[in-house]
Amino acid sequence: MAKKIGVYICECGSNIADNVDLDRIIKTISPMRNVEVIEKYRLLCSEDGKEFLKQSTKDHELTHLVVAACSPKQHEHSFMSVCLAAELNPYLFQMANIREQCAWVTPDKEEATDKAIRQITAALSRVAYQEALEKKDIDVSPDVLVIGGGIAGVRAAQVLAAPDRKVYLVEKSSSLGGKVKGFDKLFTRMESGSALIESELRKVEQDENVEVFTDSEVEQILGFFGNFEIKVIRKATGEQREFNVGAVVLATGFDLMDVKRLPQYGYGKLEDVYTSLEFEEMNVPGGPTGGKILLKNGKPPEFVAIVHCVGREHKGYCSKVCCMYSLKFAGMLKDKLPNVKVSELYSDLCVPGKTYQKFYEETKDSGVEFIRADKTTVTQDGKGITVKYENESGPKGDLAADMVILVPAMEPASDTNKFAEMLGIPVDNEGFLVQEHQKLAPVASSVEGVFVIGCAQGPKNILESIVQSEAAAGKILSALVPGRKLELEVKTSEISETFCTGCKTCISVCPYSAINFDDFRKIAVVNEALCHGCGVCAAACPSGAARVKNFAFTQICQEVEALLK
Amino acid sequence: MENSKNSTSVLVIGAGIAGIESSLLLANAGAKVYLVEKASYFGGNIIKWEEVFPNMECATCMIAPKQQELLQNENVELLTLSEVEAVQGSLGDFTVKVRKKARYVNLDNCIGCNECFQPCPVEVNNEFEEGLSKRKAIYIPCAGALPNAPAIDTDSCLRFKGEDCHLCQEACMFEAIDYTQQDKELELNVGAIVVATGFRTFDLTQVPQYGYKKLNNVYSIVEVERLCASNGPTEGQIVLQNGETPKSAAIIHCVGREEKGYCSYVCCMASIKQAHFLKSKMPELKVSQLYSDLCVPGRVYQRFYEEVKESGVDFIRATVNEVTQQGTGVAIKYKTENGEENTLNVDMLILAPAVEPGTDSARLAGVLAIPQDEHGFFGEKEPDLEAIDTSREGIFIAGCAQSPKDVPDTVAEAEATVGRILSLSRQGS
Amino acid sequence: MGEEFTPRIVGFLCNWCSYAGADLAGATKQKIPSSLSVIKVMCSGRVEPTLIATAYLRGADGVLLAGCHPGDCHYREGNYYARRRFALLQKTIETLGLEPGRLMLAWVSASEGQRFGEVTNLFAEQIRQMGPSPLKKAFL
Repeated sequence: MAKKIGVYICECGSNIADNVDLDRIIKTISPMRNVEVIEKYRLLCSEDGKEFLKQSTKDHELTHLVVAACSPKQHEHSFMSVCLAAELNPYLFQMANIREQCAWVTPDKEEATDKAIRQITAALSRVAYQEALEKKDIDVSPDVLVIGGGIAGVRAAQVLAAPDRKVYLVEKSSSLGGKVKGFDKLFTRMESGSALIESELRKVEQDENVEVFTDSEVEQILGFFGNFEIKVIRKATGEQREFNVGAVVLATGFDLMDVKRLPQYGYGKLEDVYTSLEFEEMNVPGGPTGGKILLKNGKPPEFVAIVHCVGREHKGYCSKVCCMYSLKFAGMLKDKLPNVKVSELYSDLCVPGKTYQKFYEETKDSGVEFIRADKTTVTQDGKGITVKYENESGPKGDLAADMVILVPAMEPASDTNKFAEMLGIPVDNEGFLVQEHQKLAPVASSVEGVFVIGCAQGPKNILESIVQSEAAAGKILSALVPGRKLELEVKTSEISETFCTGCKTCISVCPYSAINFDDFRKIAVVNEALCHGCGVCAAACPSGAARVKNFAFTQICQEVEALLK
Repeated sequence: MENSKNSTSVLVIGAGIAGIESSLLLANAGAKVYLVEKASYFGGNIIKWEEVFPNMECATCMIAPKQQELLQNENVELLTLSEVEAVQGSLGDFTVKVRKKARYVNLDNCIGCNECFQPCPVEVNNEFEEGLSKRKAIYIPCAGALPNAPAIDTDSCLRFKGEDCHLCQEACMFEAIDYTQQDKELELNVGAIVVATGFRTFDLTQVPQYGYKKLNNVYSIVEVERLCASNGPTEGQIVLQNGETPKSAAIIHCVGREEKGYCSYVCCMASIKQAHFLKSKMPELKVSQLYSDLCVPGRVYQRFYEEVKESGVDFIRATVNEVTQQGTGVAIKYKTENGEENTLNVDMLILAPAVEPGTDSARLAGVLAIPQDEHGFFGEKEPDLEAIDTSREGIFIAGCAQSPKDVPDTVAEAEATVGRILSLSRQGS
Repeated sequence: MGEEFTPRIVGFLCNWCSYAGADLAGATKQKIPSSLSVIKVMCSGRVEPTLIATAYLRGADGVLLAGCHPGDCHYREGNYYARRRFALLQKTIETLGLEPGRLMLAWVSASEGQRFGEVTNLFAEQIRQMGPSPLKKAFL
């Protein structure tokens, strides 16, 4: 079919018209191959302009459209709508930037005109080689898999579940609730942690749209965003469940670092040196001491030393929540044992919240001693436990204590790595799951449709974990609407079966893991649901088999040739 | 939750990064979003920052794709120069009155060529550039600001003082300047409201002992950020007030912390980033930082601090006793924790101020009938446990409007409001 | 080589950063050499060596490859591939008889309008001083 290309030049008032010789442009381009019509118009982006464009396209029965005007970043979107209105495929359209990158930056009118002619010719040559493309969409499952039944996972399940959206919540231990179940008090208002988690769990357990799996493991996750295939195994019976979901939320939580690796703190060797989680356990009403704070000899402590930042230097990061819960410990101690002497040894006071500094000041006012300490060691001799320390400028100090609470660094929970590998999510040096974008996508992972929340992606407090679970819900609810198909990127890459040699180079370079290897045909195949159209594969392919729609080699080559004529 | 037209509609107040994020997510879910912004441009505070910690990315480049997406999204109605005046109703059915001030520029005709500035005879301080440069009465705050159209500042424009000046209108080729525009009262019906009004920095003149606006070459961190920015008043050149290049600089953390009574969370990282940014532009610059407690929480921030420290930046744990002028530079008398007293002489002193709620918070809290906390931030229903709920169901808060926080936490809160709103709207149906 | 010659430079600019930076250069009325013609690609990682070679073979005196700063790539890693290809290409074009200075790689962010001006003017002057591409005499 003969090509009929319409070229329309926007004067942009005087912005373009004053700086290039429009008549010379028209005269030069007019006789070029395939040019059916070439006209100028005062302001193409105006309502009148767009109407003119639409009508002219129809009247001339154009097969392709070129608009020479401002940057495509301004109005490409609206001109593509004009194409649709004129019943022209919007991908048979190309713009030439003759304003921002020509009229506005080239003082000499003749040079500007030459440049404009080159850019328009390039667009003209390119568009003739472009292909009509259609929007694609796929069916998706609105259901969600949440891995991890702690506060983050439970809240996510709650917010996500609805009559038209099922949530599968998988927990590896025998009960939901995670770590928060074991916190008798929470900072700063000293409310009950177990009461908080109980109320969260009740909501989830009563929700018929949430299916809870305890004592279970996620065995397999295959597929991609919108269409994940999940296999869950109940450990006790070996019973398998398979189901499809559209998104996966990883909320596997944290563990404390093994303090035995830092022998200077005496943990595991000396009696009455506890980790923070052990101290929390002691305070739980139904716990081993009935909620009383007692030494191993059954007596209450008189001098308690709380050692912050255990493992901070070793690990290389600050675990964020520990200063605050150490203050909370002081409060719990003084509440149960009014005469106890408490000393807190810390390196930097980390109280980043609008109520936190006040909490610190109140704790200090209640008589708790704060010592800036470095190189802390915990030793024992006949007299009892001695905590030795230095501070930054050198002078050493020591204090006697009968109970030492160590505040260790937070680590990602042990099976976080298993899921990272299963899903292909990067982890940092410490095993924390890495977000898609440190600032703008704090709960998304680099695998589309998989979200990472809570302490599995970095130490944080309960409030922040809850915010992140709701944030993941927000992202999922926005993208996966029940009954609505997922629209895909149009200008994706496609790989020619004929030319693909199966070298897998494209697979290794794709930033989105959007290319799979077909073992049967021994070729690479692009998953259009994941492809973003960057073209890295097309550039890497040694056989030229990978080709990005409308950014193909032949099309770009046309531009190159036209620009250099 | 659904309004009479049977689709969710939401009011988002504040078009900074939090407002932009929630608007986009809500719009993509099919909700209709009214995004109300009181300034003539949108992007909030973050677009003042050229580089943001810890990866030193360009903030404007990060936000620009989102801003473009928002401008092109049919479900989002961006109302700039607008303020919320009244709110009635409850979750699912709020009636909101918005006053949209006249821009005096027709957004449909204006193509953003900026020809109207040159003839304007009025010059005033450019607030966006922290007063470091001037702008006209018809202006855009900085190159690349969106929407790409100027506004007339009625406080400085001669017409609004009674003179018949129409120089800008004469210069416009597109009949885009319209003096007859009027302020408009809009009435919107929405199902939920997100308050994302951001922050401002502590007024450093309240702590005169640091010399801000009294001594030469004492800057706020935001001013220095604008000096560093390639689209800023000096196009990225770091120059002192007399035009010379500094050879030494000191950054004091926690300015205003004692007065405000809370730690502003981001200022240590912002200060460390500032040191890094300055040294990357001027490797010979000697930088010192004076702080009391280093707040670098989380899995990535401490590493950034250590890298900057290793690059030769001097970190001194001290309290600042006195700041005086020494020639064109500044002498800082400080005391370390072990009692040692010392003086640091620098060409340039940079103060890292506390983060406060935005200027309009008190008025807005009254309009929304939600309480403020003791610091003026919007109050949560369950402090320390839930960040985004207020006492009024259906009204959510996100970002620094709630408390000082970094961008990832701000974006997470914005996304969380979307999670709640979309969840409520589905469960109700 | 004493005559005045007008260089022909082809620039491959990525959609998200460098093209936006070039637009900003326009909005702030920088002076950009008219010898530069721009081709927009979605990512600097799209630009394969054959495209660059084609440009030289068709008569380009200089080729500019511009993308987002490392770490800022809209597609995560595309610009790292561009960087690697550039390093190899600089060596390879020598075998074609082209001086390595005829290929430039520049990171320009969306807010660096002024920098785009600096980079392009510098490159254009560099090419002008180098003279026409040796390939022009050989092939054209």
